[in-house]
Amino acid sequence: MRIIAIITFLGVLCTTTYSFGDPAMSARVSNHTKTKGRILLKGTARVGRDTTRKDTTKMDSSVGIKPPANTIGRRLESKSNVLDPVSLSTFPAISLQQYLKGNAAGVYVNEQSGEPGSIQNMFVHGTSQPLLSARDVYATQPLVVLDGVPLIGDHPYAFDIQQYQYNRIGPATNLLSIINMPNIESIRVLKGLDATAIYGPKAANGVIVITSKGATLKRRITFDSYAGVVTPNAVTTINGSFENKFRQQFYKKYAANGAFTQDDSYPMFLSDSLNNAFYGPSNWNDLYYKSMGIYSVNASISGGDERANFNFQLGDTKSGGVGDNTSMDRYNARFLLNMKPLNWFTFSALVNANRMIRDRNKNIRDRLAQVNYLPDLSTPLAPNKVNYANYLAQFNNGFDDNKNNVVNGYAKFGIDLGKFKFVTTYNIDYNEGYRDIFYPKTLLQGANYASNYFGYNDRTTIDNVATYEWAPNADNKFEFTGGYVLQYDFSRYTYAYAYKGSNDFIKLNLLNSDPNKSNYLTPTVFQPQLVYKFLDHTKGNTMSVYGKVDYLLKDKYTFSVTLRGDGSSTQQPTDRWFYSPVFGAGWDMKKEFLADNSSVSELRLHASAGRMGRYENFDNYSQGPQYTAFIGFTGNLISPGYDGIATLTRPYTAGYVPYGLKWAYTDQANLGIDASFLNNRLAVSVDGYYKHDKNMLLGVPSAAEYGYTSVIRNGMAIRNTGFDATVTGVIFPSTNKFSWTTSINMNFNRNTLTALPGGLKQVTINDANGNARLLQVGKSVDSYWLLTNNGIYNTDGEVPVANGKAMTYNGITMRTGDPKWADLNGDNQITDADRTLKGHALPTVAGGWSNSFGYQKWTLRLDFYYNLGRQLLNQQMANRFDFYNREGLNDINSVKEITFWEKRGDYSKYPIYNPASAVAPYQANQDLFLENANFVKLRTLQLGYDLTSVIKKKSSNVNRFYVYGSVNNVFTLTKYTGQDPELADYTGYDTGYGIQIPRTYTLGVKVDF
Amino acid sequence: MKKIILLSLICLTVITNSCKKTLDVTSSRVVSETNYWNTLEDARAGIMGVYGLTRAALADNNGHWIYGDVRMGNFASPIRQDLKAVIANNLNASYPLLNSLSNWRRFYAVVNAANTFLERIPEVKAKDPRYTANNMTVDVAQVRFLRAFIYFYMARIWGDVPLILSSRDGSFENRARTDQNAVLTFAQSEMEAAALDLPYYYSNGDLQQPGLYYNQSRNQWSGALITKLGAYAMLAHVAAWQGKYVDVIRYTKKVLTEYNTKYDLSYTNTSTLTSNSGLFYTNPNNLNDNQLFALGFIWANQDASFTGNIESLTLAEPVVNKNVPDIYVPKDSILSIFKEAGDSRFTIDSTGTVHSDALSASTPGYFTNFLGKYPIFAKIKVMQGGISDKTFRIFSSAILLTRLEDVTLLRAEAYAVLGENALATTDLNTIRQIRYNVDQQGLTNSSATDYVVYDPNVQGSLIEAIFKERQREFMGEGHHWYDRVRYEKIKQNNPQFMALINSGGIFWPVSRDILAQNPLITQNPYWK
Repeated sequence: MRIIAIITFLGVLCTTTYSFGDPAMSARVSNHTKTKGRILLKGTARVGRDTTRKDTTKMDSSVGIKPPANTIGRRLESKSNVLDPVSLSTFPAISLQQYLKGNAAGVYVNEQSGEPGSIQNMFVHGTSQPLLSARDVYATQPLVVLDGVPLIGDHPYAFDIQQYQYNRIGPATNLLSIINMPNIESIRVLKGLDATAIYGPKAANGVIVITSKGATLKRRITFDSYAGVVTPNAVTTINGSFENKFRQQFYKKYAANGAFTQDDSYPMFLSDSLNNAFYGPSNWNDLYYKSMGIYSVNASISGGDERANFNFQLGDTKSGGVGDNTSMDRYNARFLLNMKPLNWFTFSALVNANRMIRDRNKNIRDRLAQVNYLPDLSTPLAPNKVNYANYLAQFNNGFDDNKNNVVNGYAKFGIDLGKFKFVTTYNIDYNEGYRDIFYPKTLLQGANYASNYFGYNDRTTIDNVATYEWAPNADNKFEFTGGYVLQYDFSRYTYAYAYKGSNDFIKLNLLNSDPNKSNYLTPTVFQPQLVYKFLDHTKGNTMSVYGKVDYLLKDKYTFSVTLRGDGSSTQQPTDRWFYSPVFGAGWDMKKEFLADNSSVSELRLHASAGRMGRYENFDNYSQGPQYTAFIGFTGNLISPGYDGIATLTRPYTAGYVPYGLKWAYTDQANLGIDASFLNNRLAVSVDGYYKHDKNMLLGVPSAAEYGYTSVIRNGMAIRNTGFDATVTGVIFPSTNKFSWTTSINMNFNRNTLTALPGGLKQVTINDANGNARLLQVGKSVDSYWLLTNNGIYNTDGEVPVANGKAMTYNGITMRTGDPKWADLNGDNQITDADRTLKGHALPTVAGGWSNSFGYQKWTLRLDFYYNLGRQLLNQQMANRFDFYNREGLNDINSVKEITFWEKRGDYSKYPIYNPASAVAPYQANQDLFLENANFVKLRTLQLGYDLTSVIKKKSSNVNRFYVYGSVNNVFTLTKYTGQDPELADYTGYDTGYGIQIPRTYTLGVKVDF
Repeated sequence: MKKIILLSLICLTVITNSCKKTLDVTSSRVVSETNYWNTLEDARAGIMGVYGLTRAALADNNGHWIYGDVRMGNFASPIRQDLKAVIANNLNASYPLLNSLSNWRRFYAVVNAANTFLERIPEVKAKDPRYTANNMTVDVAQVRFLRAFIYFYMARIWGDVPLILSSRDGSFENRARTDQNAVLTFAQSEMEAAALDLPYYYSNGDLQQPGLYYNQSRNQWSGALITKLGAYAMLAHVAAWQGKYVDVIRYTKKVLTEYNTKYDLSYTNTSTLTSNSGLFYTNPNNLNDNQLFALGFIWANQDASFTGNIESLTLAEPVVNKNVPDIYVPKDSILSIFKEAGDSRFTIDSTGTVHSDALSASTPGYFTNFLGKYPIFAKIKVMQGGISDKTFRIFSSAILLTRLEDVTLLRAEAYAVLGENALATTDLNTIRQIRYNVDQQGLTNSSATDYVVYDPNVQGSLIEAIFKERQREFMGEGHHWYDRVRYEKIKQNNPQFMALINSGGIFWPVSRDILAQNPLITQNPYWK
């Protein structure tokens, strides 16, 4: 219904606007639009032609205030920075990360779940922090600038009140789902400081600059739509009988009498083989994995004249997941208006509004983490469809509503005096999230739960840029840029949850509302002692001044210098400002040496080096030694006070914050070459980089005898070096009947921890999931810290003996059935000293390979995505083998989801250890569970047909009519035995919680009038 | 040219409008050094913080009970492997719980908060005239007591621990372990000094604490803060742990002569002891003086917690909706521990029927579901706000560290050790009077003097009887392990346990995390 309504509305809009068309006006502006409105469908148009060489901004026929073109500075950017939004827009993605995956050299996207709208992370040129918690991930994300508006994400401060940090409280929706690709004009991925410097310290991890289509002088209507279906991959289900057999082999081997100890009790759900719920058919997957329809409808209209013009766009996209009935709906509307009241003065305003509604998964773990209360977990969900349906039906008595509204926009005033230009912009990005939950009593063993969250993040930027172009003669060209930027970040949330309402019919935490009564504002259905309320906000302001000079000599040599000063309120008052320079240079070698050589079309070198501050997201570090109200403990972080009175003590759990903390900064250098040969039929772009993030803050575990978990100190440094390469070959040019263009991009990255605070050589820190991670100078920060597994001790006699003492593990003597762990330091004891750093959670090589074949009006695209040099720790498998310890723990780690009844992984790979041994033989942190996670994926298989000429015969107004059919996520080639090598979070531990990234079938159409 | 001037003007206005104040943002999430230690309220937040951290240190991972009750104790664990390791004294087994419990950081948070308080409190005194000299004296005494208490607690768990008496703010220096005797001597002398300054009551016109303490009523403070007699009770523990039984008598005498003359203490009957709104429930509307030294989780103040209490370990069906308890006392153990007739805590008649069910209103006892696979130890079961609703497992029992019965039995122990058998018997019988006073049906005898007195021929030697009584009386209160160590030290007849004592096996290993941070710390030799 919704689609029909939207299509109808758009149709009416189009026809009405169209009828007001003024041919004279279009004629008047035609000199501005050299491409005569044919700016769309570059993706199809590029088949067989070398369009990668084109600077998309030159194709921009839009009018209005654009950021200073900085044409000289652009020469220093790598050609591989530019992506083609038109081909991206045929991919049925919902988030920016999904669009970028495999398409931009040097950008690694971690898609940890196929659940639409869930959090995904991006890393440009590796990670600049050890990824131990959501805080670190937030600090490593690139800045996304949409139409000049720097976007703000969900601040991770809310994690402070969360016992379990799987999801941030609130809707936890990926806020970069607002990018509506069919309406995007250009995407540039800025990686080096030469390009990112003008965006300031928040851009230290790279910048993704996205520009939407602007207003046009010629009336233009576009319509862009696809519809399709996501389908699940087949899975193998198992039932209680399988699990019982699996466990019995351990009992047979190590517990002759059927129990490891007297107190041992075999789990109830496996004890009764006549119990049809567990031992019967395992057909839960019929309800869990489902196909789902998806669609996207987008339409835009633009027009106007030289004095006033606009662009208006509407869209609706529904994205679906194949697991657990997850989906997301996004509605967006965008309006851009440019006005030019005076010849030298332009005003421009943009509003981009989005609403996202998300149906989240029903994972027990995520639900209990939200509820923060663990009911009895001893009986898991049964694999039987009937039982599972009963369980799912309970959700119908409750709700879990997740909504986000994201509005961003700007008001710009531009003054153009020819060589001198001044633009002042008031930018705002505001996103708000709501999550309202009610879980009925049946889901929580008799206690119901209601929760309401409202939170917002707001970034206001006042950005002033002045530019002056000066060309004293033909050989010397200067561009001077001065900027002054104020940025105000503010995040706030209000959150309340309540347990044990008196019934399941009143699903809201209602309050008494009569201000004259003594019970004013006390809850009506929930007990006041079980209603928990939270309110928090955080602020960060920055002030930046920069100047930039770009110089072009003889059209061959380019030089660029940027100097900037950045002040941040999150830095301590004594070190509030950070000053940094960036230098760049370029050399057009084609013009220098090969001007007449036709076999070389282009040969440019560019290099840059510089330094920039890294923005600190947390405001408490600016306060120096401090006090907090935290007196919680494991399992109860929210103790409100003692004896009803609030407390203030040092931040013992968060770590000591000393005076004298300084700015962290990044030193970067890069050297790149862009070359193309054979009449542009072969283009190569290679960019080597050196990125050294220094003086970063780290909570160094120390001062335990003073009560602190850690002391926050400057001095951590992490270096990422590597190169990005893009090679594009036109095998058969488009002039042929058959054409073929192929392009491969790759990033090779090497991550090294070069320093720790205070000259330390190594520290051990637990990550958010409780896994100990070793940070060792000289090694990479994304490695796992593992014991080396060499098999099994089949008898006590095989355990090595030294000095009359048998080998021990942390003081426990090893025995039959214990793992044969390598004793690396030869002291006949297995301790942490025998753990080594192995593997990488982030790939060392990642990229994509795309192919475009053309035959007459047909187009075939094949896009691959690959990761190499990445390993995953198969925690899911470790958990399965560690059943003996997990069965008894009533904690969040012993939750069994419905997917427990899915067979994943290769059971035969693992030795049968004694699961009851105190040495924890199936602990995840051993190389037994480390697996090669290299893969190649066919992400897109697309066949398109250009109907323009056919349609044109019927209606001459149509400029473009293109239809296509796609299959996405077609197959994965990998040796990884788990579910999918992509489905693991930033820590690299595959917990099995990722929902399949679905295979998608779509049919789409793109029309321009 | 005009335009350029106009532009420059616009520029200038924008720049000057945004003055440097933009960058001075005070975090709303923490309190900085300049905004603290200024007022009376700061002093209050500081001292409550020390209490709150003490509570957190003991409640963390249910440590108080795992150290005190689970380790080689009366309990068995059906399915939790980590607890099984603790029960078997296999403390270096590779479980996260054990590593957390062997980390002393959270205790040092209390020490540091106390040190900071003692160093900084004169600033409040100087700045805020509302903060009186007496208020400061009482505050300092409490903080000194808590610091000493924590050192005592740590010395019992780890033996030698670094004795640090300065916050050393910002220049944290690694320290080696201090001999446990020095730590205990410090704890004792410090507590004794604090006890002199502590009042009997708060906000009740006590000579040493006149007026309303922080403007709150007597009810508010009752049971929440350390009082003079509470301090002496703990001193008795410190002395007993060191074997200084003469001191034990000195301290316990103070409590047992003044408990009902200068303070409102009384012995607790079994039904109040086991009620879900009884002794362990801190009721802010009533007086909780009988919690002689306790750290409360007060329901009305939203302190109730899913963890950090004995209930989360012991309770299960039919008391709460959990299938299997984390720990339970096996039937055989119950029968061997509570084998005397007339015991109101557990009464079983000759037909094997249990008459003291924890869920019974008329004849309450320690256990329920005795005939089931797992008897449930439900002596302490403060569910939600002291009600009996099994559907939501949030509990608000206080961490009760000592009570009048404890002091009485400590004095009995001291007398017995020192050979004053008659006096010891009197004290033991004081306790027996309130416990061995039921008939075969579990109904309380009508006369208060109608109870089973101590008989060496039945209950064995005095020492044995006293410690057995402690085992029964304080089950689930985190005393058992320390009692056992004292008992073995007195008896000296259990070579296995003596070997454990002599080799330091009665202490916990020091966490690997601590050893990695501070090279001056050495592992306890037993756990090397």
